[in-house]
Amino acid sequence: MDYSAIYPELILALFAIAVPAVNILVKDSRFLAGFSLAGVGLSMLAVVMHFVEGTGRVVFDTGLLVLDDFSGLFMLVFLTVAFLVILASIRYIEDERHKAEYYSLILLATVGMMLVAASTDLFVLYIGIEITSLSSYALVAFRKKDIKGAEAATKYFIFGGISSAFTLFGISLVYGLTGTTSFQEVGVLVGTLDGYREMLWLALVMVMVGFGFKVAMVPFHSWAPDVYEGAPTTITAMLAAGSKKMGFVAMFKFFLIGMLAIKADWDVVVAILSIVTMTLGNLAALNQTSIKRMLAYSSIAQAGYILMALPVGTEYAVTGGIFHILTHAFMKGGAFIAVATLATVAIGDRISDYKGLAKRSNFMAFSITILLFSLAGIPPLAGFASKVVLFSSPIMGTVAGSEWMVWLAVAGIINSAISLYYYARVVKYMYVDELDEGAPSERLKLPKGMAAAVAICVLAVIGIGVFPEYFIQLCQNAAQALFA
Amino acid sequence: MIPLEFVLIVSSALFAIGAAGVILKKNAIQVLMAIELMLNAANINLVAFSTYFGDAKGQGFALISIGIAAAEVTIGLAILLNLNKLRKTVDVDDINLLRW
Repeated sequence: MDYSAIYPELILALFAIAVPAVNILVKDSRFLAGFSLAGVGLSMLAVVMHFVEGTGRVVFDTGLLVLDDFSGLFMLVFLTVAFLVILASIRYIEDERHKAEYYSLILLATVGMMLVAASTDLFVLYIGIEITSLSSYALVAFRKKDIKGAEAATKYFIFGGISSAFTLFGISLVYGLTGTTSFQEVGVLVGTLDGYREMLWLALVMVMVGFGFKVAMVPFHSWAPDVYEGAPTTITAMLAAGSKKMGFVAMFKFFLIGMLAIKADWDVVVAILSIVTMTLGNLAALNQTSIKRMLAYSSIAQAGYILMALPVGTEYAVTGGIFHILTHAFMKGGAFIAVATLATVAIGDRISDYKGLAKRSNFMAFSITILLFSLAGIPPLAGFASKVVLFSSPIMGTVAGSEWMVWLAVAGIINSAISLYYYARVVKYMYVDELDEGAPSERLKLPKGMAAAVAICVLAVIGIGVFPEYFIQLCQNAAQALFA
Repeated sequence: MIPLEFVLIVSSALFAIGAAGVILKKNAIQVLMAIELMLNAANINLVAFSTYFGDAKGQGFALISIGIAAAEVTIGLAILLNLNKLRKTVDVDDINLLRW
């Protein structure tokens, strides 16, 4: 049996189990964080080795899990998010109890995401999703004394439970229709099921509802702002940058491998949902007063952009989708970590609390500006590069009979223009507005680990924006591996 | 042997009852039970199809999925217990601190 295909997951899972055990021996919380970071680093190394050696597609056992360019790239994204979140958490959860469990659960959630990326089978995919969901329910409820956190966890748990019930029922129907659960085989058999069209549609709708909850697609988005606001902000960063992306990986696999043969049946619906999602997300973000809620709605809007890759369904479109997932992980993850950083120095999460921030900390104001402008898609930042690829895909991918797809690009561009308003409003608060009378005005002393995490995100956003070719190449290899 | 259609009717009815419970019930614990009904409906499907195909994979997965559902209930009850401690209620209409 070739274990090298699952080294990354294996290493991380072992570290996740080891963290609480290590806590018995060493009480120092910084050591625990360092130990978790080492696990993430080793796991990352295992994935990078795969890319460096160029081993192509490695299959574990009977082929339930693979390590190829697609799963490898997503593992790197998830591991990077976990790395940044743990780095930022060292200070953020300093005064909380049960730190070992916190780090252990973050690692476990990441293992689940990696399993989803590596899965070639609906059952394995479901198990991966559940590992991530169960860990993140507990993480959202991490602050036991926090009323908002408890409420957010309840909502997240109920919506997550409904989502997994729909997913499982849909999967069971697909299994019943085809007698198999491998994406490849489902993809071959689905085209031959003419007598069972209605049941296939039912299965499709069920799975779409299930995954729709996970990626906060309208009309299944209502949990996202509440949970993102109530959860500890570092965990919000993980939810927005990590577990939401896991939902997209699952969608790519299910729709573009499993259901590609009947694409004509679902592409219009998904395209409409994509446009509704981005529009509703952006409009709702316009008049938010809490920055966490604003970023949550902007996250819903970004989910709408990424959904665009599904109905277009070409290799180029998937490249754009993957590229936007990659850049969005840094932009949104960085933005939430920046909010968490400011929370540790007593700056609240209302947008008005950010008044005159530039006078108190140039670094934070500059970082937030870069991250928000990247989310809006202003050149030469990463968000611009990925939006160019993503929004040009409906135009490039147009074949006879699908000219309507151009409207996806139009909707995306109009929405980006709308979104600039609420991002620029935060920047105006930070740079133009004066501090309130009597408000503290001394310069901020930022915790180093958190500042480092924000700095990594900002550098990544600028780096990807200035040199996008290399990253587009990576995403293109991943898209090719998905369709191979 | 029971025809496949009968089993599917039972599982669909169970799923529908569960979905109705999720929407209509006010008590979060009852919602949790309704979610369990939905998951069990899917498990019935898996076992039925597995027997129909003579393929053990579906039954094996049904066992795993029962395990996952048990873990889910454990975490869910812990979350609801904590909510009850802080808010003295598990009524889903009362958890309305977070809204726009």
